[in-house]
Amino acid sequence: MIIILLKSLIIGAIGGAAIAAGAARMFYAPETQGMGAFRTLGELNACKGDPISHLSFGLGFLFNAAASAVGSGAITQDVFHRIVPNWAAGVLLFKNKRVEETLYNPGKMALAGAAVGAVVVTFLNTVSALVPASAAEVAGNVLGPASSMMINPVMPIIFILAALDAGRYTGVAGVILGGLAQMIMGNAVPGTILGILIGKSIEEQGYTKSTWVMISIVALLFILIAYFRGFHNTILALF
Amino acid sequence: MRDRLKDFLMRPLAFPLLVGLASAAIFAGTHMYVVHGTGAFNDIFVVQMLDQGLSTGDFAAASGFAAGFLLARILEGPLVGILDIGGSLQTGVGIGIPALMLASGLTAPIHNFPLALLTGLIIGIAIGALIIGIRKFMPQGVIASGSDIMMGAGNSAGRFLGPLILIAAIQFSIPAGVGAFIGAALFYFWKKPITGGAILGAMILGSFFV
Repeated sequence: MIIILLKSLIIGAIGGAAIAAGAARMFYAPETQGMGAFRTLGELNACKGDPISHLSFGLGFLFNAAASAVGSGAITQDVFHRIVPNWAAGVLLFKNKRVEETLYNPGKMALAGAAVGAVVVTFLNTVSALVPASAAEVAGNVLGPASSMMINPVMPIIFILAALDAGRYTGVAGVILGGLAQMIMGNAVPGTILGILIGKSIEEQGYTKSTWVMISIVALLFILIAYFRGFHNTILALF
Repeated sequence: MRDRLKDFLMRPLAFPLLVGLASAAIFAGTHMYVVHGTGAFNDIFVVQMLDQGLSTGDFAAASGFAAGFLLARILEGPLVGILDIGGSLQTGVGIGIPALMLASGLTAPIHNFPLALLTGLIIGIAIGALIIGIRKFMPQGVIASGSDIMMGAGNSAGRFLGPLILIAAIQFSIPAGVGAFIGAALFYFWKKPITGGAILGAMILGSFFV
């Protein structure tokens, strides 16, 4: 328990500082390279520098993250996407309402983010450690089948449909690479994703040098995976 | 002192450091999950892919899924000026790279906490430097197409998990099933994603009857 506590404090402080500073840099994009997400930037702007809005927005996602942590140990992407940036902003804005000196300042955001990150990550990791064994067993028995249905066949279906809806080349590349991936890797999702990337590149840029580079990388990747998983033996066994 | 920190953090060279620190935390979060069973910085269905690899030894789904996102986001980041941490770091570095390492038998960086922080830091600095490099040397030419489609599919995949948990809970036991749909209904009423409510409901009612 103490080990979990200490590790969580370290992880939360380091990650929180970096993410909050990266979020502040987003306000200077594209001249300055920021990190976060467009939706995070939109949500930070939507709170209009009001500390209560920032804090309550983050709190909603904290409940969701806690439920997920208790059930499965996954503390969700929202910790870094939403809770840390919004709470760091909210804490700073309580003292100073001017966003130029708080939310847009990576130095102050880094310090506030380190504190928020340490508290939030530690809270989520200790909450999930306090769950009784019987409840954790139920969660495992429910989540296991649910996520194996998710991984196969639900996700392959979603990604193949997305590829088909995205246009002729994307659909063709997505179906072919998806089918190959299902045969070779046991799951169509990675192949379909690569198919979407290739198909969209062909559609938007034509057969340029960068498209060919991407196609060669993907082909090489497939050949290597097929070799290491012994797929050539499966094919030889057919004859 | 704080303004000096601000000036430093605004410089282009601070970016690889920030990505490095974020990656260190995320990679160490995966270490926490593998060793202590909690703390992975990702959503349930992505973490379950890693989990499937841990129990079956087959990491192809996790590594392939995450590597695709990592590739797309690194190409996109420099073009739009914002690196998406969800696809690149939380899924790519947090799930994909550990899956690749575990698949090739490299377990030390994931099982050892200081080594996990260090591995994440190095990977992150490399990614950050690569992005700043792409910005410097190739202002146009590299185009990341299709990542909006992937993101859309990824988000709608997340939506499926709630209903799937309902079905799985009902198949597991009646109390868990009842708890799952009551929890899901309450969370929906409170305008929260139903996944959390379904799991909590199944755990609370289900554990009374185990």
